Amino acid sequence: MDGLVITPMLVVLVAAVGTLLFRRQPRVRLAVSLSGAVGYAVAVAALAWYVVIAPAAPGIATYQVGDWPAPFGITLVADGLSVFMLSMVATIGPASLVFSARYLPKYDRRTFYYPLSHFLLLGVTGAFLAGDLFNLFVWFEVMLMASYVFVAYYGGPQHTRAAFWYVALNLVASAVFLLAVGGIYATTGTLNMADIAQRLADPAAAGIDPAPVVGLLALLLSVFAIKAGLVPFQFWIPTAYRAAPPPITALLAGASKKVGIYAIIRLSFTVFAGAQVPVSLPWVSGSSPLAFVGPILFVMAAGSILVGGLGAVGRDSVEGVLAYSSIGQVGFIAIPVAIAATTSSPTLRRVGILAALVYALNHTIAKGLLFLAAGTIESATGTTDLDELGGLAGRSPALSSAVFVGTLALVGIPPLSGFFGKLLVFDTAVRAGAASVLALLLVGSLLTIAYTSRAWNRGFWGVRTPAVEDAAVDPIQVAILVGLAAAILAVGVEFESVYRFADAAATAALDTESYVEAVDPQAVNGGEQP
Amino acid sequence: MTAVVLAAVVGSLFALGTFLLLRRDLIRVVWGLAIIGQAANVYLLAMGEIAPASFEAVPILAGHGEEASHAQTADPLVQALVLTAIVISFGMTAFALVLSYRVYEEHDTLDLSELGDQD
Repeated sequence: MDGLVITPMLVVLVAAVGTLLFRRQPRVRLAVSLSGAVGYAVAVAALAWYVVIAPAAPGIATYQVGDWPAPFGITLVADGLSVFMLSMVATIGPASLVFSARYLPKYDRRTFYYPLSHFLLLGVTGAFLAGDLFNLFVWFEVMLMASYVFVAYYGGPQHTRAAFWYVALNLVASAVFLLAVGGIYATTGTLNMADIAQRLADPAAAGIDPAPVVGLLALLLSVFAIKAGLVPFQFWIPTAYRAAPPPITALLAGASKKVGIYAIIRLSFTVFAGAQVPVSLPWVSGSSPLAFVGPILFVMAAGSILVGGLGAVGRDSVEGVLAYSSIGQVGFIAIPVAIAATTSSPTLRRVGILAALVYALNHTIAKGLLFLAAGTIESATGTTDLDELGGLAGRSPALSSAVFVGTLALVGIPPLSGFFGKLLVFDTAVRAGAASVLALLLVGSLLTIAYTSRAWNRGFWGVRTPAVEDAAVDPIQVAILVGLAAAILAVGVEFESVYRFADAAATAALDTESYVEAVDPQAVNGGEQP
Repeated sequence: MTAVVLAAVVGSLFALGTFLLLRRDLIRVVWGLAIIGQAANVYLLAMGEIAPASFEAVPILAGHGEEASHAQTADPLVQALVLTAIVISFGMTAFALVLSYRVYEEHDTLDLSELGDQD
């Protein structure tokens, strides 16, 4: 059954190659792409069932590629955290691919669109399943390469410029990632995550000095913050999100961004948390690298909430508002992670991760829905400029109600998924007893209400503009949006099971012991004679 | 001694790469990116401990086909990692060059400060 771990990757890989092969048969290619999307969702659901949901679920499954034992071979690990993240991608990924099929025909440039979007999914999936640091790097690159092409996809002046900035930034980030990988190898003598965790927990037995790990973790943190778009690394997001085709932006915001969050949680909590390194810097002291991660992440998150919220209030296009909004929302995800890193109470730590995961799930579905809706509005009216929109609510009630549900989920109205996300984030702050954090979260929430209601008022209410009057709204695109809105509602109504799933994910993220035990890295005796 | 030379090389490559990255000319920026990538590769290679120079240190030659002692050979793992990293950075440099040509076609300039003005 451990073969299930690699199945989602194989499914998208086959779909990617298949869509390349059937380049000249548009119908076959579309069928391959869609069945790949559906197959991906099924494979992830099966994996989630096998690992976490089933009655006697093991909670973690590993796949050693080619039967090479860890730490020598390539290890894939599916634990609660990975599976939870994969489930999020399996919601927005297929939705985006099906949406693309309806959105694209107007633009006659779809030759490499499908293969690339499958490769993007492959990179994201690989990053969630990778069990060693270098493979994480490689899957990051796979994901990034596909996204570079998508940012430059339309090839106009602003697209090429956005793509060049995006490429330059991420190439520097990749070099920094390599530095951190090299440093960690020199420090611990291994790159397998379970093996790193094992050696750091007992450095004397492995004969290593764990002190450099804190600095190397800071390097990694900056790389992952770039992927997640946390302040001060947020500047690429608005241009890149506006340049990429809307269905892909939904994937970038829903899936790629979460890879950054996932990597921060996985490496800080599962892998490096066990290291005993005395940290004593101004304002920061503690005995684990987490004591160092917490405050930095907190400052980044606070900056993101403010920059994202304030930026979104002033934007004049739907995508602009959404792009800045996703900077702010990532701040909301990072705040509980920062609290979890700072606290010493195991319960609060679990609650913090749990809150971050639930919020991330809500952000993936709601922001994915809204970016897809921006695509629908653009293909129906030819513009996403809020000045040229108005009265969409009367013109297309179905589209508007789906957007309305997505917007309310961002704001956090019960019984939608966003309510529980916000509730848990606030709960974490209250339990930590941090009044300043609560104040910050409140300001962030008020900003969210401000920019969403402003966008709604200008785009959906009021007098119909000529662009809206002539709009031809595609029914199938709207059906996908309504489906996602139903998913938001379903998560809220069935929150108890979602909570159990997220709880299993948070527990897995903190359970280094089972992680190490499942991967079972063999002892390596350095450079000695075997 | 080797360690000092390597450290100096890595340091100057990073310095040169950063300097080029901050130029206004798009092609120099691409050069800067390529050089920073290579600097990271040299650094990665140096992380596998520096073995004394002899043909015994080359993993594939050591032991002449017989089983080799790990004590003498250089670390083969970092070499494998660097191979992968080189391939990735090669592909990315090619893509960045094509992209800068496309930027030139769209904007009729390679000056980054002029790209920012048109919006």
